[in-house]
Amino acid sequence: MFELKKGALFVDEMKNVSIRIGKVVEEEEEVWEEAGPTPKPGILELRKWDHKLLERYEPFYAPMQDFCNLCTMGPCDLSMNKRGACGIDLKTAKARLVTIACCIGASAHTAHARHLVDHLIEEFGEDFPIDLGGDVNVEAPIIRTVVGIKPKTLGDLREALNWAEKEIVKVLHSTHIGNEESLLDYESKAMHVSMADHVGMEVADIAQIVAYNFPKAEPDTPLVDTGFGIVDKSKPTIVVVGHNVMYARPVADYLEEMGRIDDFELAGLCCTAHDMTRYNAKAKIFGPISYQLRVIRAGIPDVMISDEQCIRADLLEACKKMGIPLIATSDAAARGLPDVSDWPVEKIVDALVSGKLPGVFLPIPEKVGQVAPLVAEAIFKKHGGERKYKFFESDEALMEEINKCTQCMNCVFTCPHSLRVDQGMAHAQKTGDLSKLAQLEEQCLACMKCEQACPKNIKIINVIMRANYDRLYNKTGKTRVGRGPIQDTEIRKVGQPIVFGQIPGVIAAVGCINFPDEMKSIREILEEFLKRRYIVVTSGCHAMDIGMIKDEEGKTLYEKYPGNFDAGGLVNTGSCVANSHIAGAAIKIANIFAMRPLRGNYAEIADYVLNRVGAVGFSWGPYSHKAASIATGFNRLGVPVVVGPHGTKYRRAYIGKPWKKDKWWVYDIKSRQKVFIEPAPDSLLVAVETKEEAIVQLARLCIRPNDTNQGRQIKLTHYIELHQKYYGDLPDDWAVYVRSEADLPLKMRDQLLKVLEEQYGWKIDWDKKKIVEGPVRHFDAGFNPTIVEEVYEKYAGEKAPR
Amino acid sequence: MMEMAVAKEEKFPTAKRFDIADIQVSREATAVKPKVVANMIKRAKRPLLVTGGQLLKDEKLVEFAVKFAEKGIPIAATAGSSKPLIERGIKPVSKTYTLHQITQFLQDEEFQGFDGNGNYDTVIFLGFLPYYLSRMLSSLKHFSKITTIAIDEFYQPHAKFSFTNLTKDRELYYSMLQEVLDNL
Repeated sequence: MFELKKGALFVDEMKNVSIRIGKVVEEEEEVWEEAGPTPKPGILELRKWDHKLLERYEPFYAPMQDFCNLCTMGPCDLSMNKRGACGIDLKTAKARLVTIACCIGASAHTAHARHLVDHLIEEFGEDFPIDLGGDVNVEAPIIRTVVGIKPKTLGDLREALNWAEKEIVKVLHSTHIGNEESLLDYESKAMHVSMADHVGMEVADIAQIVAYNFPKAEPDTPLVDTGFGIVDKSKPTIVVVGHNVMYARPVADYLEEMGRIDDFELAGLCCTAHDMTRYNAKAKIFGPISYQLRVIRAGIPDVMISDEQCIRADLLEACKKMGIPLIATSDAAARGLPDVSDWPVEKIVDALVSGKLPGVFLPIPEKVGQVAPLVAEAIFKKHGGERKYKFFESDEALMEEINKCTQCMNCVFTCPHSLRVDQGMAHAQKTGDLSKLAQLEEQCLACMKCEQACPKNIKIINVIMRANYDRLYNKTGKTRVGRGPIQDTEIRKVGQPIVFGQIPGVIAAVGCINFPDEMKSIREILEEFLKRRYIVVTSGCHAMDIGMIKDEEGKTLYEKYPGNFDAGGLVNTGSCVANSHIAGAAIKIANIFAMRPLRGNYAEIADYVLNRVGAVGFSWGPYSHKAASIATGFNRLGVPVVVGPHGTKYRRAYIGKPWKKDKWWVYDIKSRQKVFIEPAPDSLLVAVETKEEAIVQLARLCIRPNDTNQGRQIKLTHYIELHQKYYGDLPDDWAVYVRSEADLPLKMRDQLLKVLEEQYGWKIDWDKKKIVEGPVRHFDAGFNPTIVEEVYEKYAGEKAPR
Repeated sequence: MMEMAVAKEEKFPTAKRFDIADIQVSREATAVKPKVVANMIKRAKRPLLVTGGQLLKDEKLVEFAVKFAEKGIPIAATAGSSKPLIERGIKPVSKTYTLHQITQFLQDEEFQGFDGNGNYDTVIFLGFLPYYLSRMLSSLKHFSKITTIAIDEFYQPHAKFSFTNLTKDRELYYSMLQEVLDNL
């Protein structure tokens, strides 16, 4: 084995010689930025940063079970923080479990990205350029910051993927029995693998945007139909479900080529729906995972195409019962079906239409594109649309089902929301009035646990859906198609007002649908911030839910608020993997506005975001493992996340203790001192129970140490107003955020100065209306905070003060 | 402890869990009668009532919380439950923090309570979504010595003491809350 040096090689008449060519570098690598300290970091490189966060935002554990049964030495009783046979205690076991959840989430997005990138390289070649439009020069902020490369082609994305895959395996390894014994180190690993998750998401979305020509950072993307009642039942309907559009995309191509796209309905569930609309705005969105059984039980699909993630694990069974052929496509979910890749199209169509096979496994996208329309058309001909949008054949059949109920309440005690199905049934039995059952639809996940618990085998979901049929059918609206990244020009415009605080915050509503309340609550929460001219960003299931909730005038939020990344804007970035553009926007603020270098410079960027960028993640109904890794990835980047109450079942939170004054400090590069600060933000991951609590928490967590007086005044005004509106009084902690009288809301200044003097014992100079004594610290216009010693040294040119 | 439990009393329904799958518990809550709850609160040196978001949906719960406050039990109101309480003249000791945050604070030996006079030894929970409260009770069970008492309509297996399952009979539930108050 010898290494080839620079020059030319002539191969002439050689035998039994194998030549392996590694990566061919055709030109000198462009020096685009000086390399930072942590390109392609391993588990340990950012451990110090994590521990800094965890020192402040102490992990909190809420076990689901007292036992561990992951190995054969167990099961072990870990209650009261006892140790199991392997030596692990309960807290550390929970930290391990969260790490595993984050590994699952990260591997979902990263495997998705790998599927896409390999497939797209095969189709378009590895030199296919990454071009996200003229307004996006910082094309891959996460990859630049974490991996330290500037990807120019699809092929370059492989380097980022290779890194992410390696780190995921390493972190997963650490969860094996007998490894880590520190809960803090598990949390650091959870953060590490979740950062890899964000890389995986960015790779996936960049790849599909450039190769499939999705919208490229355009604020004014089309509005597409969203909701249960969106399809014309007189047309064959093809329904795609899952998160990887690569398999179902050729359906749109095929129909367009045939000039027949208007003869069909092409609609989706979950993120594949988002991405189908990004590919072709004639596609429609039914809704999130909770709409899967709604759509199937209503007999709407004439063929169903599944790919991967967040798809019901009884999809085949559910489809089979309704006579809906299923085409499974992703190797992540072959669903026990025969692989028909080698079969001719006609044979596959025949097997599905005749019912010889209830479904097939067909991982060849181009074939899916041909098979699905043919199957849909043939199945549609069989029933002529008659079966669609029905849950029962007749009202009599519905009442017959309702009358079976004995109010045993087994359903109530299995329902994730303890919905009072028994009361709804009893009321309907006595009066014939379905309104109590109808109310349940607004919150029903259609998870089907109730039906299995029912001793009378009542089709409870069908009953609930039918009871609320009219409202369910009409709960349709418009979603603005996912736009992908935020433009560099937009960041240039809003960077300063966000960092100084004049734009009071960025609320990023991301994630699933396990809401504690009716779906309309997500709209109510977000509109509070839109009216107050926060920037609201959304993606995934949250983004489609708000597309089906209309106001009195029949408008969704997308029709009321513009799609640009600016104050009062509502930005839909797209599917789950398009979450990466939200983290990317925070990173781009540090880079484009503050000129902080990104390349392999993660801790500095995260430190910048934590101290300066008032962005808060919000997941009102999280349930998936991906939501765990997305949130934890945001946390490592210094972005706090608020979750709905079901989020406590992730078992771990990061909650600071504002009353521990010594925990809240920064190095101030300007004064060259260690400065004690207000606890802002005081939690990195915290749950809320009600929409009122969500609103108040989101507002308070937007406060950052770097806010200018004007910025703090604006943020405090909103926080205080919202607290008074929803909690009936001033916040308990408002005073701690006051550094000078200029921070106080203008309209309340005198009143609040009086409160500070009388209740908090602060000294006020009433002639000048100035605060003389009291605040944790005074405001300094040049305040330049960091909690990272290396960052301090880099900019101060000296060792950090003790 | 056995005489405290309600299992043998015909008056009360059985202690069925609010979610039948929430069974992975090494030691289940003792299902207690209202008088026992009242006695424990009376014996507590530092009791605290934490109220949750369900007060916004059930006026009756607000009324009961007001009565607890009138009996001198300090209230940490979460999830916006402070608003109806303040409207009725009650001053909660905490309004801003979530149950999640308060549960974190309670587990810290350095926490001196919302009034600075020391941590609480007995915490009573009223008006929460059951699955959310279940997680917080689990956390307090494993990582603190605080006596937790759940007085919602749901039997909470992770609490130290809990009302039995009263989901089916709301009037009985209200009468039990009243009985606690009458015995304070």
